[in-house]
Amino acid sequence: MSTFMARGLRALPGHFKTGIFGYRLADSGEIVNMVEESVVSPDKVGEVVARYGVEKVNKVYGPRGLEYVLYRFRNFRLIRYLLNWGRMASLFPAHITTACCSVEFAATHSPRYDPERFGWLPATGSLRQSDVLVVEGTVTSKMAMRLRLVYDQMPDPKWVIAMGACAISGGLYAKDSYNVIQGIDDILPVDVYVPGCPPRPETFFQGILLLREKILYSGVA
Amino acid sequence: MSAIVEQVEAKFSSAVVEKVLDEKKLVKVVVSPENLRQVALYLRDTMGFDHVKAVTGVDLSRLLKKENKIEVIYHLGSYTREGLTAEVALSTKVDKSNPHMPTLTDIWPSCEYHEREVYEMFGVVFEGHPDLRRLLLPEYWMDIPPMLKEYEPAGR
Repeated sequence: MSTFMARGLRALPGHFKTGIFGYRLADSGEIVNMVEESVVSPDKVGEVVARYGVEKVNKVYGPRGLEYVLYRFRNFRLIRYLLNWGRMASLFPAHITTACCSVEFAATHSPRYDPERFGWLPATGSLRQSDVLVVEGTVTSKMAMRLRLVYDQMPDPKWVIAMGACAISGGLYAKDSYNVIQGIDDILPVDVYVPGCPPRPETFFQGILLLREKILYSGVA
Repeated sequence: MSAIVEQVEAKFSSAVVEKVLDEKKLVKVVVSPENLRQVALYLRDTMGFDHVKAVTGVDLSRLLKKENKIEVIYHLGSYTREGLTAEVALSTKVDKSNPHMPTLTDIWPSCEYHEREVYEMFGVVFEGHPDLRRLLLPEYWMDIPPMLKEYEPAGR
């Protein structure tokens, strides 16, 4: 228990059933269950603190009252499907360009491929109206906080596409670079990875279609 | 091309540490750091090299000879001389444990940013530089200069 505390993890055994995912111990190989601190319901906080000896548990209040009604309404299967269909069918991308992938990104918008057929609009809007952030190219550690700032300025719901080898894993600069982020999933939650160096427009187009599929069959927040 | 090196050697015979004569690629004079400014002034005023194209640093500690030194190379250029077939370079070797050397910014103003980059990448302190700050590295950089051979990247 105390070793987990030292690592900053909230590792809890067994029978606490919300938001638990498996966690394999490095030394013994034994699988323990872990609770994300954000999913402990408010009435269980005292119990969790007493039982597991953690100092603090984040309280997250679920939707209540009218919010709860709306939440349930949005989560009816048909309503959810329609909402997601609407979101999927008009995606405003914002793109942050640091390398050569932007050329292919621009080529994807050409009439030959024409992603507007699938609701992928030209990347001309402001961040405040965008849904998708496309990260093209190498992200240095100096750029990382600016990238996170860009992401934080976008309103929910938002999705992220990592385009090209550099954004996925560091690419050319993997492993022995002093200044390149080894994949932007260190700083952003990435939805779709589009591989290639740079990816052809067809590849990026497939990424768009995958993102549409992901949005259509995902839950509503 | 080798005439340049010969003239420098004739004038500063004690200062020249070594020389590289490759007529197709690089003509380089290595001088000691104390005489660097005199040789630079001589090259600028009488030989017509009026600007610096690049400043390079090399960490020699794990190359062939394993000298514990950092070499700083100034690649010189000229708008007036004709028939320069190779790169002309003036370089100096500073001790790695105490990398201090005089700046050439007041002789060739185009050195300024290049010397700042050598300063951040190799830790060479240019004495007399007007604005010796780091150039490109992140603001929060706390590690040793990243182009030294001892540096190990953090990885993922």
